[in-house]
Amino acid sequence: MRRADTAVAAVLFIGALVLIRESLRLPVSWTSIGPGAGFVPFWLSVGVAIQGALILVRSLRVPAPSGRAAPFVERRSFKPLLIAFLPMAAVIAAIDYLGLYLGGAVYLAGYMVFVGRHHWVTVILVTILLPLALFFIFERWFLLPMPKGLLLEYLLYGR
Amino acid sequence: MELLSVFDNLLYGLGVAMTPANLTVALAGLILGTAIGVLPGLGGTNGVALLLPLTFHLTPTAAIILLASVYWGALFGGAITSILFNIPGEPWSVATTFDGHPLAQQGKPGIALTAAFTSSFLGAAVAIFLFTFFAPPLAEWALKFGPPENFAVLLLAFATFTGLGGGDPAKTIFMTLFGLLLSTVGFDIVSGAPRLNFGFIELQSGVNFIVIAIGLFGLGEIFLTVEEGLRLRGVPGRVGFRDLWETWKMLPRFWVTIVRGTILGFWIGVLPGTGATPASFMSYGLAKQFSKHPERFGKGEVEGVVAPEVAAHAAGIGALLPMITLGIPGSPTAAVMLAGFFIWGLNPGALLFQTQREFVWGLIGSMYITNVLGVLIVLTLVPLFAAINRIPFGILAPLIVILSSIGAFAVNNQVLDLWIMLGSGVAGYIFRKLKYPLAPLVVALVLGDMTEQALRQSLIMGQGSPAIFITRPIALVFMAASLFLFLLPLIRGLRKGRRQPPIPQPATAE
Repeated sequence: MRRADTAVAAVLFIGALVLIRESLRLPVSWTSIGPGAGFVPFWLSVGVAIQGALILVRSLRVPAPSGRAAPFVERRSFKPLLIAFLPMAAVIAAIDYLGLYLGGAVYLAGYMVFVGRHHWVTVILVTILLPLALFFIFERWFLLPMPKGLLLEYLLYGR
Repeated sequence: MELLSVFDNLLYGLGVAMTPANLTVALAGLILGTAIGVLPGLGGTNGVALLLPLTFHLTPTAAIILLASVYWGALFGGAITSILFNIPGEPWSVATTFDGHPLAQQGKPGIALTAAFTSSFLGAAVAIFLFTFFAPPLAEWALKFGPPENFAVLLLAFATFTGLGGGDPAKTIFMTLFGLLLSTVGFDIVSGAPRLNFGFIELQSGVNFIVIAIGLFGLGEIFLTVEEGLRLRGVPGRVGFRDLWETWKMLPRFWVTIVRGTILGFWIGVLPGTGATPASFMSYGLAKQFSKHPERFGKGEVEGVVAPEVAAHAAGIGALLPMITLGIPGSPTAAVMLAGFFIWGLNPGALLFQTQREFVWGLIGSMYITNVLGVLIVLTLVPLFAAINRIPFGILAPLIVILSSIGAFAVNNQVLDLWIMLGSGVAGYIFRKLKYPLAPLVVALVLGDMTEQALRQSLIMGQGSPAIFITRPIALVFMAASLFLFLLPLIRGLRKGRRQPPIPQPATAE
């Protein structure tokens, strides 16, 4: 956990440096219209960098715990976390093709099979009915257009 | 005269809240909110954020009533799972598990539930009353504020996180600055220059607050729940008339705890960034400290259910006071609601009381009505809400993920927001595990634009000199108070003689 603290603080500190550089591309001092556009971002990113450095240094000064240190993520929790995260990222990456409803259905089905271990009848029923219900609630009732993907676009509008 | 106009406005507000449309919205919000509160992995903050896109088609008054009702419902709902399942549906109901679940195990779930709901009702009722009479004068006073005063108040809001938030001060300041920094992404309001967008056109309109909130609170919570592995072993519970009678007979004995919890909760709620959760813990701690039988606490003492619940509800109401009068949210959930103000075309702040009478008093009126409705709904529908928890997590988790994606996409209709949501989810998970507080980040992100504008306008007023913040009396007072709060952790550290580890607090959202 201590190593994770150090690593995260280091990443945050480096990120802050990048942001300082990005804000320096704008006027950071006094201009004809008062403080320049980069004034606030610059000083904020400097502040973030200082705090990041502080957290980093402090995490290094904490004595290492005796014995086996508690890991950031327990080994047995790794798999469920990845099962939740990776397909999520995959579906978002393929959202232009799958759309939110179909992509959501795929995610739902996968999760129900591999984590929930539901009976296949339940899986099929839920993965069809739930996205369908969401489609009618959001697309039809609340008129919020979601990415529909190639297949649904074709079925709905024939393109 | 002054008082009369408050009553006048209150009657008007009650009228607004009682129109069939607004009443329907409030009822729907309460039921939805209670369900959100009951479900693990779906919190009040996230629930409100997810519903925000659905309010685009509503009038601002109906929209705020809906979101506020969801918030009240979630406050009630959290208690149900705490007592019956020993799983806090919400961070603010963690303290309710201490005595609520033992009571349920001893075969008295009805008493625990009645005690929780009734004390929530009492805490909220008194807090709403305080709200009604504090809000108008505060708003009137705030009307006199210029940019320097506004900046000083905002600074004070950020300082309270550091001084009173209870987390690690270095990490709290980090998160505050980081939130402010994120809010500067996109076009500069004054010069029109695109800032910190790293060349992404989508980022020119800025990082959307709601998308980040959904990621941090929604997905982050899912990841944490997935990691811990969810196991539900509940006690069936319903509330019968005997439970009501027995509990209500007991309650007058706890009047000191109720009064103390309410005032404490309201005050903590008003302070920005400290919401219902710390209030519930403090109230529980104090009740135990002053009890004649502290050893009974944790083993099923009814007073241990009463104390956190009064405080949590009073704090929930208090959190809306600075939001509606100053435009400063008192909790992350209030921050999400405040983000809604901009979407509905309202400018939060003191002027609301003058220009948006229907909106402001409609909200206040609806608080009175939803509090009564809420307690009736939860008392009668406990078994139904408890049954929601039978939904297997294998379906619930992906459903929440899909709902989060819909909510995040609906804000701007762009796919990049889904990635930002996912990134925020991972960040939220890591931040919470390493005890970086999320509340300052969220509140700073919402208040960032206002803060920057106030700062730059003040500097222009002072021709570049920051002295303007200490030459104006009101601003000076706020600046001094902020400085004190920023230094408070340092002062505490010096008094203890050595560096204290940060006060242990549960990884809470609010």
